[in-house]
Amino acid sequence: MSLALLALLGGLLALDGTSVGQVMVSRPLVAGVLAGWVLGDPFLGLLIGGILEIYFISVFPVGGSEFPEGGPPALVAVATGVAAMETAGMAAGIALGVLVGFVWSRLGSGSVQVLRQLNGRLAPDPSQGEVSRNRIVWAHLAGVGADFARGALLSAAGLVFGTWLARTLGDLWPLGMPGTLGILLVGASLPAGAFVRSMGGWRRRAAFFITGALGFLVGSALL
Amino acid sequence: MSGPGRRSHLAVFARSFLIQGSWNFRTMLGGGFAFAMLPVLKRLFRDDPEGFRAALQRHAEHFNAHPYMAGAALGAACAMEEEGRSPEEIARFKRAVRGPLGGLGDALVWAGWRPLTVLAALVLALSGVSPLVTVLFFLVLYNGGHLALRIWCFLVGLQTGSQLGDPLRRAALPLQADRLARVGVFLLGGLVGLVAHEMWVLAGWALTVLCGTGAIWGLWLGGLVGQRGWKWSIWGISITITSLLVFGWIG
Repeated sequence: MSLALLALLGGLLALDGTSVGQVMVSRPLVAGVLAGWVLGDPFLGLLIGGILEIYFISVFPVGGSEFPEGGPPALVAVATGVAAMETAGMAAGIALGVLVGFVWSRLGSGSVQVLRQLNGRLAPDPSQGEVSRNRIVWAHLAGVGADFARGALLSAAGLVFGTWLARTLGDLWPLGMPGTLGILLVGASLPAGAFVRSMGGWRRRAAFFITGALGFLVGSALL
Repeated sequence: MSGPGRRSHLAVFARSFLIQGSWNFRTMLGGGFAFAMLPVLKRLFRDDPEGFRAALQRHAEHFNAHPYMAGAALGAACAMEEEGRSPEEIARFKRAVRGPLGGLGDALVWAGWRPLTVLAALVLALSGVSPLVTVLFFLVLYNGGHLALRIWCFLVGLQTGSQLGDPLRRAALPLQADRLARVGVFLLGGLVGLVAHEMWVLAGWALTVLCGTGAIWGLWLGGLVGQRGWKWSIWGISITITSLLVFGWIG
C-alpha cells in the first residue's frame, strides 16, 4: 500500500484519539492489527499492538495531561516491524517496531500539545469580546482538520524513518524470539504494576490479581 | 417535544461526538460545547439575534468534563435554555457539574471500562483467537458500553435539567467503577498467567523463571511509582533495545 494511503489512515487514527468519536480504533491493539492487516501481517500487528497496549495500560488521558499517543505510532511501529521482519526475522521486527513505536508515541504526544496551543489561538475567547457562530464553527472544524493533518504528517514521517531504520539496523538485532519477548515483558511489568496501583493498590487488589494469574495459568496448562 | 425540538436534540447529541475538536488549554471543551449547542440555540433564538449571540457567548466559556459524560451537561443545558432559565443560573450549573462529570467519567471509563475491555481482548488473543476477531470483540464490547453511557447521559441531562445530580447519585457510578477495577485487575492477573504459560512453552523453564522474577520486581516497583511507571519502562526498554543494537553492530 502506498505511503500516502497509510498516512491518511494515520490521520484518521489520530482523529479518534481526541477530536472525533473516541471509539478506540486509535488504541495500539486495534491500530496495530489494522496496520498489520493492511500490510499483510495481522499477527505481527497484534503482537506489536498488544505489547504497546500493555505499556500504555496505566495511562489515562485526564484533563490537559500529557500522554503517549496510540494510533499513528502503532501504525508506524507495525510498518517498521514488517520491514525489519522481511530482512532480519520476527524478533528484530518486534524489537525495532516497539522501539520506533515508543519514540513516535512521545513525538505524537508533543505534537498534540502543539495542536492544543494552536487551538487556543483559533478558538474564540468569550472574555475578550463577542463570539460569533461562524467563528465557533470555523475554529472547531479547523481544529479537527489540523488534528487530521498532524496525524497524517506524523505517520508519513514515521513510515519513512521506520522503514529506513528497519532495513539499515534490522540485521544487527542479536536476540531470538524468547529473549526479545522476555525483555519486553519484563519492561511491561512496570506499567502493569502502576495500573494495579491506580485500581486501588496491591493491598486491596492482590487477591484478584493472584486468582486471575493462577486460574489462567493452570487453565492454559491443562487445556 | 415537537418534531423540530427532537431533531435539534438529535443534532446536539451527534455533535457531542466532536466536543473535543477544538480542545485547548484556555477554554478546554468550551468551544466544543458551544459548537454542540448550536442547533438548539438556533431554534430557540430564531427571532432574537441578540439573545442568540449572548447564549453562544456563555456556552463558549471555559468548560471541561469527560467527553462521554459531557453529554449530560449538554442535555441539561438544552433543557435549561428551553425552560428559559437565567444566564447566571445556567453558568452556575455548568460550573457545578464540570468537576464531577470529569472525575466520574475518568474513573468509570478511562480507569475502568477501557482497560477492562482491552485486557479481555488481550486474554482472548493469547487464547488463540485470530487478530481480526480479537479486535472486533474489543470494539463491539467497548463501544457497547461507550454508546450506552453517552445515550444515557444525554437523555438524563435532557430529562432532569438542573436536577442532574439526582440520577447521577442514584446510578452509584463510583461503585460501578470500583467493580470494573476489580475485574480489570483479575484480567491483568489472567493475562500474566497466560503469558507465563506461553513463555514456558516457547523458552523453557530457565528463561521463564528469570523473566518471571524480573516481572515480579517490575510489578512491585510499578505499584510504588504509579503513573511514572510507563515513562520509566519506555525509557528503560528504549535504551535496552538501542544498546543491544549497538552490541550487535560491534559484535
